[in-house]
Amino acid sequence: MITYSKHTLRNGLTVIANRDHTSRLAAVNILYRVGARNENPERTGLAHLFEHLMFRGTHAVPDFDTPVQMACGENNAFTNNDYTDFYITLPVDNIDTALWLESDRMQGLNLSEEAIAIEKRVVIEEFRQRYLNQPYGDINMLLRNMVYTTHPYRWATIGLSPDHIANASTEEIRAFYDRFYQPSNAILSVSADIPQERVFELAEKWFGGLEDKPMPALTIPQEPQQQSARRLEVERDVPATMIIIVFHMGDRLSRDFFLGDMTSDLLAGGDSARLYERLIKRKRLFASVNAYISGDVDCGTFCFTGQLLPSATEAEAEAAFWEEIRDLQEGNITDYELEKVKNKFEANTLFGELNVMNKAMNLGYYEMIGDLGLINREVEIYRSLGSDDVADFSRRVFTPQNSSTLIYRAKSQQ
Amino acid sequence: MKQPEITIPSTISVPPTTALTADNGTPIYAIHCPEYEVVRLSFVFHAGSTTQSHPFAASATANMLAEGSAKFTAQQIAEQLDYYGSYFDINIDRDYAYVTFCSLSKFFTQTAEVIEEVILRPTFPEQEVSTYCAKRRQQLTIERRKVETRAREYFARAMFGDDHPYGISYDEKCYDNLSRDILLEHYKRRYTAERCIVVCSGNLIDEVLRRINEITSKLQQSTEQSAIVMPAFNTTHTMHLPHDGAVQSSIRMGRMLFSRTHDDFIPMQVLSTVLGGYFGSRLMQNLRERNGFTYGVYSAMVNFQHAGYLAIATQVGCEVKEQALEEIATEIERLRREPVPEEELSLVKNIMAGEMMRILDGPFGIADVTTENILCGFDNQHIQYNLERIRQTSPNDLLRLAQQYLSPEDLVTVVVG
Repeated sequence: MITYSKHTLRNGLTVIANRDHTSRLAAVNILYRVGARNENPERTGLAHLFEHLMFRGTHAVPDFDTPVQMACGENNAFTNNDYTDFYITLPVDNIDTALWLESDRMQGLNLSEEAIAIEKRVVIEEFRQRYLNQPYGDINMLLRNMVYTTHPYRWATIGLSPDHIANASTEEIRAFYDRFYQPSNAILSVSADIPQERVFELAEKWFGGLEDKPMPALTIPQEPQQQSARRLEVERDVPATMIIIVFHMGDRLSRDFFLGDMTSDLLAGGDSARLYERLIKRKRLFASVNAYISGDVDCGTFCFTGQLLPSATEAEAEAAFWEEIRDLQEGNITDYELEKVKNKFEANTLFGELNVMNKAMNLGYYEMIGDLGLINREVEIYRSLGSDDVADFSRRVFTPQNSSTLIYRAKSQQ
Repeated sequence: MKQPEITIPSTISVPPTTALTADNGTPIYAIHCPEYEVVRLSFVFHAGSTTQSHPFAASATANMLAEGSAKFTAQQIAEQLDYYGSYFDINIDRDYAYVTFCSLSKFFTQTAEVIEEVILRPTFPEQEVSTYCAKRRQQLTIERRKVETRAREYFARAMFGDDHPYGISYDEKCYDNLSRDILLEHYKRRYTAERCIVVCSGNLIDEVLRRINEITSKLQQSTEQSAIVMPAFNTTHTMHLPHDGAVQSSIRMGRMLFSRTHDDFIPMQVLSTVLGGYFGSRLMQNLRERNGFTYGVYSAMVNFQHAGYLAIATQVGCEVKEQALEEIATEIERLRREPVPEEELSLVKNIMAGEMMRILDGPFGIADVTTENILCGFDNQHIQYNLERIRQTSPNDLLRLAQQYLSPEDLVTVVVG
């Protein structure tokens, strides 16, 4: 259970405070409601490029990292398809430094030609290192392109191609900043041994003076219902074939999200879960196997993946996934199995509340998805779900016409 | 607005560690943090890869402890842990095997039933062994397609020698020769009372400690007395290896030094942090910020039981690898010629102090640091000592260290791709 209070500044900045009585550290998280789904299809990768640019300093503070580090702090950031998140942990006595820096870069960023040019190179190098120079590195891109026809989830946060980054103009980049990096598009969350009222005062002190330029409402094209099965087979120079089957499912606030999450735990949450026990150990078809949900804010996906053992055929491996699906659809789920998944969820929730960083980050996240109170209700929601619900979910979601299958075939080695 | 004042912590406080001794003599270190409703329990065995008699035997033994015991099948062990939301984690390095369990306090009793089986009565069933070996062999084959993996392996070889226990790497085919008997033999030799320490943290009520002592006390005494023989190092200074289809080259550079118990270890850590230990380090500034050669470059001191070294690691575009090597050499040379400016040095010291605070935030991190200290023969007073040692390091100390330890002719360079 995470206690918190929430307050909105006049300029629209949402502030959430959690008091942690044990830590000597403060965690300051700032989340901007901008991710790859907000990008122009011709300029993908910009949200992520921007995460990098946010560290390039401002006119007032030319170097972002040094003051953080001088204050014994550590900072980092990440971007995904839905949002961009920046966080700092530092000794609680130095919390002002974190707030000062975050308020400063919300509006005063230095977007010089030079800064942009350097960061573009770094991001393109990241593209190569993480996506092109890795075995299986292009799977995510291939899948998104097949699973989505319309929604911007069809590209990964790194973007569709390094060219999009390379060709983005300085004007486009500045316009992106103006549009998305505004107080009313941000959530500040803090976890520290500081009274909640005091956190709001500090937020007012550091952010209250920023002027807001409200962002025009965005319409994100939603994905139409898939009508028929999709399939893609590629051959790559990798040691083992992979099979991936993806299904569309509900959005983050739908009941299906929890059902999907719970189903993925039944299948792949730990070494006693179904897929590991049955497909790796019993049938010995795969070297590794997984089932997970993407967890996106808009309608997301449910994904099965498996890396074949050399002795297994593609056909039997693929059939094995569908057998597991049928088993769920027929409702062969014991109360014991469900109870286990629920206990595990509860324990992981508690383990996740042990440090200030996780708490600050989660508070920002739940506010972003539009239901802050959910942060303390999820365990209860899981507790309320039964085997009939899982079977019903499986029948609705795991259908051939809702599926996209990728066969990522290892070139035969001669 | 004006930059706020900052405060630098001069002390780091950790909850006291209680040192107990199990009935069979194994030390148990208990860190009581009653505000967290969790229990974490680690068994550390001197059973790393330097202690194995067959390739991959040490890692396979550690990783298969939970794959079946006298009383439970692998499935039952996983089931029982999962059912109560408990988990365990295996780590293995060249020297030690670390087996760690976490559970909610309210489910420790049920979790302990499994811990006892996993630690004391593993059976390594033949079928599970062969599944594990097939899987690991495949994973290793994939890993070795990466320039980074190969660079890491060849760097160890270059530093210590192809056959040295700290340097050796094995063909993935060796997995095919592992068997249940080999793992059982390794377990019997190395998972014994006098080769173990136990570290626990969280809400340690008497009942929990009693149970931990009960399990620990059942560890067998070992029959074998042989010490691990560490041959002399056989260093190769330069290795350039091609790699099919590489877009990037992986670079490892470093220097054999000393383990954590050496008096210069902490100041060398300061020096390596200046060079490549944080986001704004000299190497990052140069290779990433100024030249855009790489996404990241790092340097760190690496500690083994009987050795220690400085390592620099990065991945750069193949076309700029020569330039990158030159720039790294230039940065090292600069450390040997000019004292590090006071301001940069205070930055690095503050970063290191902050890092210590972050690691020590929460019961799990405190347990990790305690374990590390004990393995080096220290106690937790060493935390405060290290902090002071960092704070006292001067620009002249660093200049002396760089001149003494970072001569170009002593460096080892490995490039893959």
